[in-house]
Amino acid sequence: MEELDLLKKYWKKSEDTFEQVSEVEIYKMLHKKSSSIVKWILIISILEVLLWTLISVCFNTDDYFKKIHGEDLIVYFEVFNYFNYAVILTFIYLFYKNYIKISTTVSIKQLMKDILTTRRTVNYYVWYNLTMITLSVFIGYAIAFFYNPAMIALKEKMAHEKSNYTLLLIFGFLALTTLILVGLFWLFYRLLYGILLKKLHTNYKELKKIDL
Amino acid sequence: MNEDLEKSFVKQLRENQNIIHKICRLYTSGDDAHKDLFQEITIQLWKAFPKFRGDSKFSTWAYRVALNTAITLYRKSTKSIQTTDYDKHQFFISQEEYNFEEEERIKLMYQAVYQLNDIEKALVFMYLEDKDYTEIAETLGISEVNARVKMNRIKGKLKKILNP
Repeated sequence: MEELDLLKKYWKKSEDTFEQVSEVEIYKMLHKKSSSIVKWILIISILEVLLWTLISVCFNTDDYFKKIHGEDLIVYFEVFNYFNYAVILTFIYLFYKNYIKISTTVSIKQLMKDILTTRRTVNYYVWYNLTMITLSVFIGYAIAFFYNPAMIALKEKMAHEKSNYTLLLIFGFLALTTLILVGLFWLFYRLLYGILLKKLHTNYKELKKIDL
Repeated sequence: MNEDLEKSFVKQLRENQNIIHKICRLYTSGDDAHKDLFQEITIQLWKAFPKFRGDSKFSTWAYRVALNTAITLYRKSTKSIQTTDYDKHQFFISQEEYNFEEEERIKLMYQAVYQLNDIEKALVFMYLEDKDYTEIAETLGISEVNARVKMNRIKGKLKKILNP
């Protein structure tokens, strides 16, 4: 076929018209998968902080403290809050650093190391958050127990009771709600970061296969 | 060891990248699509690289993996209408040999090839690469006879598209 052979004639020459890809660009392509996962970890963690901040703005805790006459607690609460934000911002900075590192790495060995570091950072982050949630729940209970007028009345009632029935009931209830609450958060983090970590791990395994 | 492997892969890919560029030109239109397919093929080649034992040439092996990637990817998007960028082939012929009549014919031919399906494009690609039927058959995983028959049919189809 004449037309096809004409095309063939120019086919080889067409090679000069391609913009050549450099070795550095090829390295970047090979590592792009990991870097996009780490980028998502960064984005999600920032969104998550924004979400919590929004929630805490909507529910003003100061009013609650005033209502239960615990104004002296506001300062402690603020310190606790600032500390928490400082830690979380540090984590976000670490995520950002991991992202920059992974997207600029050119050696495969270093990339594998970076993936492991990122996974570790994310795990620490999740554990920190879960610990903080458990801690907040307990502090919340303690405050309610010592300050809430309703609890004071209940305590008086318990003092007149001979058996520990009410006390046991309260502790049982608290333990159950704590378990459920922390469990829900645990599930939330598993889903949110677990999927990304799994993908990262798959990528790691792929790299390891090549690492003979 | 692994770093050496990666180094050798990157070096060979850079040297043979025109194979991928040419496949991208046949299967995509537009710069972004070209780059996307290039990247996808690169990743697939890298994944398959540990299985490449070096008993064939890098280029021969790359043809197979790259075409397979293009075909599978192309299949996913067959429903979207393929629009062709006419200006893309403007620089197909270098300035010294500029020949208006030939350029027009090549452009039309390109348009015709674009209308072929994914497998047919792969055959045309191998044909344009000046491969013999043994290699075409081997690369595409079909018999030599089948490759010849298919190629003849494609020629007929192209003729029909050019002279309806």
